[in-house]
Amino acid sequence: MNLDRDAIKAAVRAKVIELAKNLGMDASDIGDDDLIPATGYVDSAAILELVVWYEDAYQMPLKQEEINIDNLGSINSMADFVIKRKG
Amino acid sequence: MAFALHAPRVNNNDDIVQVIAFRVGVGDFVKQGDIVLDVETDKAIVEVAAENDGYVLKLMCEVDDKVAVGAILLWQGESADEAVPETPVAAPAAGGGNARPTAKARALLKELGLDAGAVAASGDRLTLADVEAYIAAHGIQRRDHTPAVTVSTQESLPDVPGQLVDLNAEERGMLITVSWHRDHAAATYLEVEYDPKAWEDHAAAYAAENKLMLSPLLPLLAYRYVQLVKASPRLNATVVNGKRFQYQPVNLGFTVQAGETLYLTVVRDADTLDTKQFIENLGEVQRHAIQRKLSREETSGATIAFSSMARWNVSRHIPILPPYCSLMIAHAAPKGSGRAVLGASYDHRVLSGFDVARLLMELAKPPL
Repeated sequence: MNLDRDAIKAAVRAKVIELAKNLGMDASDIGDDDLIPATGYVDSAAILELVVWYEDAYQMPLKQEEINIDNLGSINSMADFVIKRKG
Repeated sequence: MAFALHAPRVNNNDDIVQVIAFRVGVGDFVKQGDIVLDVETDKAIVEVAAENDGYVLKLMCEVDDKVAVGAILLWQGESADEAVPETPVAAPAAGGGNARPTAKARALLKELGLDAGAVAASGDRLTLADVEAYIAAHGIQRRDHTPAVTVSTQESLPDVPGQLVDLNAEERGMLITVSWHRDHAAATYLEVEYDPKAWEDHAAAYAAENKLMLSPLLPLLAYRYVQLVKASPRLNATVVNGKRFQYQPVNLGFTVQAGETLYLTVVRDADTLDTKQFIENLGEVQRHAIQRKLSREETSGATIAFSSMARWNVSRHIPILPPYCSLMIAHAAPKGSGRAVLGASYDHRVLSGFDVARLLMELAKPPL
């Protein structure tokens, strides 16, 4: 597990692109601060997969109330949340 | 008052004992501790003693009979002329209550608190079908409505070369579901179209207010569904043994596609939750499904169900009813069409088209 912020961002971005591709979407231009649910690249089921992957990749079980826009809404916030929890 | 002497358990593994000899006859007075008969198992011969003082009123079996552990061997009374209570536990007849139960039959007998000796066997062994026939004939309701769904294993093989491959757990579950739908439910389907904008606006407002990561549209629809069913308990029922079985809790089944596997996850006691609790609980079981860490509680006991295929842009899907579930809502929302569909597979033995149409029309509108 690499806890370097850029590495986390790259991993999250790659996962979002992979999930979007499964839905026939190209999310390669997603911005670091874009609100992931609002991009239209991934639907709720894909976001759920993203969350489960995130918990597993960073060995960080989430409480249901932590799964919100503030903590996980964008690539940047997902990276920050890992560092905050693991740091 | 008459009292019974039951067949004792001699060995943990023996559910049947064989009567070898009676040492008493009808009208005899016996004291507590007196030996009244001998029984035999595969491993031992055991003397059975009277548990109470009293006159022998009736022998419930004969020498050489094989009797289920717990079955009544004889009746005693304080006087010699007392009446013997009428009881389904009678002396075993040939092919009847002395047959050794199969594992499944034994499990059902245990669940129902029934004595194997009470149930007549149709063959050498007391089978699950025998017990089910007995409870159907006596109007006995199973405490747990876990379905006793059977799948035919008597089909002939296709006349084409190939091999049989065992199904995995999920495939077996789906086979059971489909078999129940085909063999038990009088399944039919109807649907209504609706303008999805009101629901989308409602969900967007809720998501913004609660800073939700996932769209709450489907959870909110499902919760509204639960509330409507709670208000109309008739919708929350099934048919068992020719009778209506009215569920007490509303346990919502909600389909989740995890990779290749389709799960029917279950939010139990959904009718007792508020909106936030429901969405959180549903989110939790959805995550467990993706992680493939669902507990038995999270995959069983659905009393109503909900499924959406909006993700796949289909215009209609007609769900298979899960066992003992009379109503499954099917949601679809073809992209760009400006319309959405709420359909329902339902068991016509339990619900009428009017019941379901009224529900769908109500569900098409978000709560005020």
